[in-house]
Amino acid sequence: MPLLKVRNVTKRFGGLVAVDDISFEIRHGETMAIVGPNGAGKTTMFNLINGVFLADEGQMIFEDVDVTHFPSYRRAHLGIGRTFQIPRPFASATVRENIAIGGMFGAAGSEVNVDEALEMADHYIELIGLTPHRDKPAGGLTPIEKKMVEIARALAMKPRLLLMDEAMAGMNPTDIDKMVEFLKDIRDKEGIAIVAMVEHIMRAVAGLAERVLVMHQGAKLVDEPTQEALSDPKVIEVYLGKPAEEFHA
Amino acid sequence: MMRHLQKYSPILPVLLAYGVLLGIGLAYPGKWQLIAQLAFYCALGQAFNLFMGMTGYVDFGYVAFLGVGTYGMAVSIYFLYDKGLGIGLIFIGLALAAVFSTGLSLAVGAVALRLRGAYFAIATIGVNEGFRYFVEGARIWNGADGMIFSRHLRKAVGRETAMTLSTQWADILVFGVAVLAAILTLVYMRNKVGYALTALREDEDAAKVMGINVTKFKIIAFITSAVLAGLLGASAWALKLTYVYPEDVFEIHYTVEAIIIVLLGGAGTLLGPIVGALIYGASKYFLAIVLPGFQLLIFAPIIIVIIVLFPEGTVGILKKKIRGTALEKFII
Amino acid sequence: MIFEQLSGNLLQGVILGGVYGMATMGLSLIFGVLKVVNVGHGAFIMVGAYVALILFQTLGIAPPLAVPVALILGMALGMLFYYTAIKKLLKGPELASLLATFSIGVILEEVCKQLFTSEARGYHWGLDKLDLGFTVLPYSKLIAFGGSILVGLLLYLWFHKTRAGMAMRSVVEDDEGAGVCGINVDWEYALSFSIGIGLTVVSGVLLTMFIPVGINPYMGGSYTLKAFVIAVLGGLASPYGAFFGGLVFGLIENGSYTLFAQIPGLEPFAMTRFFSFVMLLVILLIRPTGLLRTK
Ligand SMILES: Nc1ncnc2c1ncn2[C@@H]1O[C@H](COP(=O)(O)OP(=O)(O)O)[C@@H](O)[C@H]1O
Ligand SMILES: [Mg+2]
Repeated sequence: MPLLKVRNVTKRFGGLVAVDDISFEIRHGETMAIVGPNGAGKTTMFNLINGVFLADEGQMIFEDVDVTHFPSYRRAHLGIGRTFQIPRPFASATVRENIAIGGMFGAAGSEVNVDEALEMADHYIELIGLTPHRDKPAGGLTPIEKKMVEIARALAMKPRLLLMDEAMAGMNPTDIDKMVEFLKDIRDKEGIAIVAMVEHIMRAVAGLAERVLVMHQGAKLVDEPTQEALSDPKVIEVYLGKPAEEFHA
Repeated sequence: MMRHLQKYSPILPVLLAYGVLLGIGLAYPGKWQLIAQLAFYCALGQAFNLFMGMTGYVDFGYVAFLGVGTYGMAVSIYFLYDKGLGIGLIFIGLALAAVFSTGLSLAVGAVALRLRGAYFAIATIGVNEGFRYFVEGARIWNGADGMIFSRHLRKAVGRETAMTLSTQWADILVFGVAVLAAILTLVYMRNKVGYALTALREDEDAAKVMGINVTKFKIIAFITSAVLAGLLGASAWALKLTYVYPEDVFEIHYTVEAIIIVLLGGAGTLLGPIVGALIYGASKYFLAIVLPGFQLLIFAPIIIVIIVLFPEGTVGILKKKIRGTALEKFII
Repeated sequence: MIFEQLSGNLLQGVILGGVYGMATMGLSLIFGVLKVVNVGHGAFIMVGAYVALILFQTLGIAPPLAVPVALILGMALGMLFYYTAIKKLLKGPELASLLATFSIGVILEEVCKQLFTSEARGYHWGLDKLDLGFTVLPYSKLIAFGGSILVGLLLYLWFHKTRAGMAMRSVVEDDEGAGVCGINVDWEYALSFSIGIGLTVVSGVLLTMFIPVGINPYMGGSYTLKAFVIAVLGGLASPYGAFFGGLVFGLIENGSYTLFAQIPGLEPFAMTRFFSFVMLLVILLIRPTGLLRTK
């Protein structure tokens, strides 16, 4: 049984079809990348999966539950976690509090009290290497640090599916490699399925994902194993005939 | 256990402040009225802050909760005075105040709390006027003629007790509401409610994505804040004055005062409303002597100055200054 | 007989509703362009009412001639408040601009109280009445209605036929895009706020034709409430929606007054004011984005 089944989902904004009749599945513990040029509908797809938007058409099944009409907080309780393209930590709360919030309201939320969540937060702070910033308000961090806080906050939710929107945008290759290792580690240790949304960073796609779903103008272009997708002519064409080397870089 | 209690140490400065105020009032009976007024502002600020400060939503019709609370106490004394309940009337009155304010907050919250920011504010803007005109228009509880129940209170509990109730116990009850509001604020801050409210105040969509049922937590804060306001109206207005007129108790300028107090002190902080209430109450007291009638004219621009230049308020700024010192544990 | 009374009421409702609509356009314009909810809206209507009153009583200037004065005063106030407060709050949390416009309303009320006391006043223009058989309409109300239509038309022409107006519309559509296209978005904000306030103060002049003795510093509150009902009816961000919302509201208000007056034991005046509050909640409950918007 797949972790998530997306069936013929469509989302429109006025006349614009941002997500156009897309179907795919995510299996337990796998890593998948959704790629596509700017405006392809990747963020909208994420928003649909975790309930920020409700789909106009189609159906979404998480484990055995039909979550199509669930608000986002109920999907979080079931185990869907998420980071945002532009990080959105709770600015006035400290790093520790931010992460604890994920712990106390996420999938494990009903069994975690405030003190336990704060202890959990300490664990994740160490993991992402933000210990010196533990008690600082998250609003004052650098963008990369904010991103790390978001990832820790999402992990503290104990998700079974983690959606990461452009998690590695703006990072240099060394950081990307580190991040890829970090995420793989998490996936293996905690058995989380990870779907990373990546724009052009093929380095991350190649290193992390087992499978790639390419979106183009709202529709699904291909959904295949990473190596095949990266050499698929249809995919290369979408990236405006960029030379293959640059594309792989 | 020790660690558990330590989490609640910020209540100490609050209790100290109220203790000192009460002490001054008891030591200088001539200043009792001023102290009672300050206590009223403290309670108003703390109750209002519990919703506005913690959620970032502003309820422009907030005074309506004080108004219906006032009616709760009034109805109890006016209609039940001859039932031989004695001092029990007061408890029934407080209970009714809580019931009325809960009812109104549920009715308003059911509509307004489903709406975001500006739309929420719009939905609340007419609540006080709406309720006032409902009382007047449908001639409920004597409509615009109001209710005068000093006689009823005297009949129910005797002249002496009625006197003490209005001149002392009403004010003591106000202190009680203020302390209760502070304790609830701190308890919320230290529990999931507080974390949920912080999250939704900063970013409501992100809060939902983290698994927070934002509507539920907004309603918790809204009702708590409303009930505290109801109890405040029942004590500071009904019991103290022993009359109620709809045009007085639904008067919007109490909402203005609540906003000023919370902003002066620091929205969302525990100690802020007290600091704000003392600054506002004391300056209003002196302005009333120096420039009578000018208080709001002076304070309304101050709101704007605070919002533009010092949005954290006094305690917010103080909190930043003391970060990393021992005081940090007590001042929040 | 009943038919006559009904059509009379309907006509009165339309006349008042047209002016209500005009009195809400400024609110919608400001929300549409700046996304700021002017909670102090009614106070600007009150300022307009005093402009009409004072000009008439001290200088004998007829209300239509007070309109340009009101417009200039309103636009000046708009600029003043935009540059001292609103501009600095646009990027901040919504709470900030809500509290600021609320405080601006309080400032205006308190200034007017100091200037004119809180006594309720009024003036009598002394125009004739038009007797239609089934109802009697004072010419002053007709002039107010005509004035509202005219202002609405001028605003429409300005938006659609002038460069400045079209620039402002492009900011409503997409302020970032407009900025890229070389439009000075900050100035458009200032101008919209100022025009919005100007229109609102003008509407205060026109509304005095309907309130013979009700001019006082705190009269604005109930107009704020009505304006929100109307704006939400018409879709909060649309000045024209506001105009039609005004017509609908005028009709409903008139109708509900007539209805409440039939029910013994009710105070129709107070009940009508209660009713506008209930309407606001009901509309927000069923369609927060506006009943008259098609999308
Ligand atoms: N909330 C929204 N309202 C209207 N249009 C939107 C909204 N969110 C996204 N869109 C549009 O949907 C399309 C897909 O956007 P998005 O999902 O953000 O793409 P990507 O993340 O792949 O860059 C874009 O054309 C964008 O303008
Ligand atoms: Mg995106």
